[in-house]
Amino acid sequence: MLGWIGGQLPWWVAGPGVGLCVVALYGLINARLGVSGAWLATIAPVEGWRPDPWRRTFLLALVGGSAIAAVLGPPVALHGYGRLSEVLPPVPLVGVLLLAGGALGYGSRWAGGCTSGHGMSGCAAGSPDSLATTATFFSVAVLLTLGLHRLTGGAL
Amino acid sequence: MTRGVRWSALGIGAAFGFLLTASGLGDYDTIHDGLLLTDPYIFLMMGSAMAVAFAGLAVLRRVGRTRYAGRLALPHARIERRHVYGGAVFGVGFGLGATCPGMTVAMTTTGGLLGLVVLVGLLAGLWLRGWVERRQRQPLSTEPTPPVAGPVPAVRP
Repeated sequence: MLGWIGGQLPWWVAGPGVGLCVVALYGLINARLGVSGAWLATIAPVEGWRPDPWRRTFLLALVGGSAIAAVLGPPVALHGYGRLSEVLPPVPLVGVLLLAGGALGYGSRWAGGCTSGHGMSGCAAGSPDSLATTATFFSVAVLLTLGLHRLTGGAL
Repeated sequence: MTRGVRWSALGIGAAFGFLLTASGLGDYDTIHDGLLLTDPYIFLMMGSAMAVAFAGLAVLRRVGRTRYAGRLALPHARIERRHVYGGAVFGVGFGLGATCPGMTVAMTTTGGLLGLVVLVGLLAGLWLRGWVERRQRQPLSTEPTPPVAGPVPAVRP
């Protein structure tokens, strides 16, 4: 909003910074940094179990940190969903996004983690389950994206 | 939750949210172009994050202790079918929406309010998996992080 930082930090700042977050969470509280686990903690009351208390704190802080970046970053304008909203009319778009979100939730709980929990924290620890999950989801996502690109004649 | 644990989660969560957002990962095109293999940003970012975390964990393993939670126990689990099946389902969502559970937050705070729709789907997907597990009479996956089976030796043989 204020334009104090650009829209995209260089990868060699953002990447190592995120890597340090992973190390710090292990080193301070012995926990694997994962965002799907944080979201799962929010539905715990519906399912009748108690999550680790730090997960809610982590999620709130994540939203707060993200909001701070948005305030310091380039002007915020309400916008659609990139090229996907140019290809799809609003109603099918909402359907596709619900499906995409549903797959993210279902898959991450099934596999036991997402891009952060398995992809970064688990892989950095050299855990075989994380390496397998990450290789699988990246391969599927790349193949699906390349397929969509062909199917839409390059519009996506 | 002790004060140390709370402040750790607070500080690291805020830093993580800040970095995800300031690196433009909340933008459909950043991720989509990455997965199309036309923009290397997400791979460079993720690769450097892993490299730094790998080096940092090598140091932590030598220390062997954590600040607020006793002995260090890094995750180390065998590959099971669910990792491949779950990873594949997750990959469909990742490819289709060009977002993930963390990036959706960045998308929403930077004005992409359709990120909230993804979020509704995400919570529904998490719940649905729990429902399926209950029906199959499996123990419910209460955390995507399964508890670590046992402490990992500080120095590998």
